[in-house]
Amino acid sequence: MNRFTRMAYSSPEDMVFGKAKKPLSYGLGMKVGAGSVVPEVNYAPRPGAEDSPEKLRKEYVDYITRDVISRAINMGFPSLQLETEWISLMGTKLNMSADIVTSQKECVEGYHTMYGINLAVRHTIPDLRLFEQHLRRRVNRNDYPSLLMGSAEVACENGADILSIESIGGKEVTDYAITHGDITAYLFGAGILGALDVENLWSELSNICKKNGTIPGGDTNCASSNMAMFMAGGFLDNDVQKTFSAIARCISAARTLCAIEAGATGPGKDCGYENIVVKAITGIPIAQEGKNCQCAHCDLMGNLMAQCCDLWSNESVAYHPEFGGTSVQCWTGQIGYECSLMNTAIASKKDKLLRDLYMISDRGRSPESFILAYDNAWAIGKAIVEAGDSHYLRAKAAALTGARLLMEGYNDKRLGLTEKQLSTLNRIVRDLESLPDEEDLFMEESIRRYAEDVPSFTPGNYDL
Amino acid sequence: MLDYSCVDNESIFRRYDIESENTNLPANIIARMLPESMLLKEVAASVVHLRFKSVGPAVMRALQMRLSAEDVINDGLVKGMEIVSYLYSHGLYYLPEVMMAAKTMEIGIAIAEKQMPGKRCTKGIVVMHSAEGDPHDIGKNIAAVMLRSAGYTIVDLGKDVPVEDVVKTVKRIGPVMVTGTALMTTTMSAFPKAAEKLHEAGVDIPYMVAGGAVNREFAESFDGGIYSRKALQTPPLVEKARAGYDWRRIRKEWDEITREVS
Repeated sequence: MNRFTRMAYSSPEDMVFGKAKKPLSYGLGMKVGAGSVVPEVNYAPRPGAEDSPEKLRKEYVDYITRDVISRAINMGFPSLQLETEWISLMGTKLNMSADIVTSQKECVEGYHTMYGINLAVRHTIPDLRLFEQHLRRRVNRNDYPSLLMGSAEVACENGADILSIESIGGKEVTDYAITHGDITAYLFGAGILGALDVENLWSELSNICKKNGTIPGGDTNCASSNMAMFMAGGFLDNDVQKTFSAIARCISAARTLCAIEAGATGPGKDCGYENIVVKAITGIPIAQEGKNCQCAHCDLMGNLMAQCCDLWSNESVAYHPEFGGTSVQCWTGQIGYECSLMNTAIASKKDKLLRDLYMISDRGRSPESFILAYDNAWAIGKAIVEAGDSHYLRAKAAALTGARLLMEGYNDKRLGLTEKQLSTLNRIVRDLESLPDEEDLFMEESIRRYAEDVPSFTPGNYDL
Repeated sequence: MLDYSCVDNESIFRRYDIESENTNLPANIIARMLPESMLLKEVAASVVHLRFKSVGPAVMRALQMRLSAEDVINDGLVKGMEIVSYLYSHGLYYLPEVMMAAKTMEIGIAIAEKQMPGKRCTKGIVVMHSAEGDPHDIGKNIAAVMLRSAGYTIVDLGKDVPVEDVVKTVKRIGPVMVTGTALMTTTMSAFPKAAEKLHEAGVDIPYMVAGGAVNREFAESFDGGIYSRKALQTPPLVEKARAGYDWRRIRKEWDEITREVS
């Protein structure tokens, strides 16, 4: 496996929205990271749409796809990317999925031919694997790991421009970590188990993409670090400490990076809030979500997440009517106009000013926004690449760097913390600093401990 | 980078979490709520202070002093957990403390139960599952901990559970309530299907649904359905079902039932 040992960006100052060191061209005239930001709209069918294959196809294609593209044309957007996140049923009924992918592609091509609008479709396949069974594909088995690869083949063979996934490797242990406030478990679950699983998955997924001319978009740690972020919530929530979710995010960057090292090229998927670190290391273009995804969730970094994005997304919206049209049309308008603002800033050479305004407005809003500010994210990336080849040391370096940055921010009065957030941060630092330097020792102890504490954790799932 | 040293964050956002942090000392509240009996106080305090190692000896001491196992459980261990729930609902404890306290309580219960002649009577059984096709179950697991802590037996069917399995289990066991969680809009449609099959089989218990995709409007769109917005609301809703409220009455009084934990 080729590891990144140097930063794509020699300085955080060089990072900005709309420009990536490794821009991509794909789909129908789509250019990403090449000097402009593109809206990426994501949607969910109505409950009941899955009742029959034809009903689901109509929902995705005849209603949603037509609605969003026609709205983009109506509003003069030059480019639009669609993200079809497969519902779980599509991951098991592959014939039905093939029909939807093909039909959506035909629809998109029709609009491109007629209006010249640049279009592409990202397909995000579901990861239905169960920890209680097994995570890796076995010969001649019609099980979830095989269905996952089958989904990738169906998507790529039938016209997906980009393939992505939100994989679940390590989640059985990170769920435990988040609910028990155990950063060592998170380091083991996301930093090692997740990294091993991502590498394994993307070695295979990249090949499927290559065979079919599809862009291997990559992975996110949505299943774990967004879980921590959502549970840390807003200012009235009291499930998970925000300093915990911030450090979980740092660790997740090392996990998401593994997909790129295993052959993915980006654009990274919107829900990977850790993508800013991955962009700093690899130079790939990234999708991000923030202020214009309030239809899906509330977070504390709505502006900041736009700072270095190449695609700007609404995360997901359920299809339903609004006063302004259908929900997908309304949210296409939201993200499209934000992209227009960013592209105006680029054209008038004020992009770095706007980047900084986005970033500064949220920098001190929460511990997680603080460490994701592009200068801090870059420092976390640097710690990862300098840690060498070991998943363990990379994830630990990311976590310790994030903790140090938070502590410095707090001491300099640039970041406020509650007493609970501060005591959690102190405990995290204590726990991380007490871990051994040797990966073997850490692995031995973690496998023993978490196989005992987490019933669904099976070392064999990761070839351990 | 733009020099932002002149930017006053207070003109941009307010950190309500810092301003409104409950800085009351949990110790004062705990002292007020612990049982009066020294033996039970020691048992409950082990739970409240998350002391894995001392809960066993505390339970043994109480049993040796001829307190019944049932009293040790209900007036010591469960009482301790009630205090933890109170601290959680007032922002003094967070989820990790609740999980650790629950684990401590379960260690104590396992020891006390060995001294009981038969099986311990719990308040009732709740059947829990995540919807078919839905691999997310963290919310269900947290709610299960809270229900166990409130004295219920949980039959956890796990995640990605077929409708038929839910129906079969509920018919076989006859729980106080069945619960389902779903993170996706397209998996939550399993709930009305299961509710309908239960209704056809003559089972009319409340079907509590929750999770990222679910809202109150959806929950109340099918017969039997009631809503829980978060794990903490589950115990008081189940408590009402145990008290004999049917799903129609729970729906009607939902705001009042969940007011303390909204």
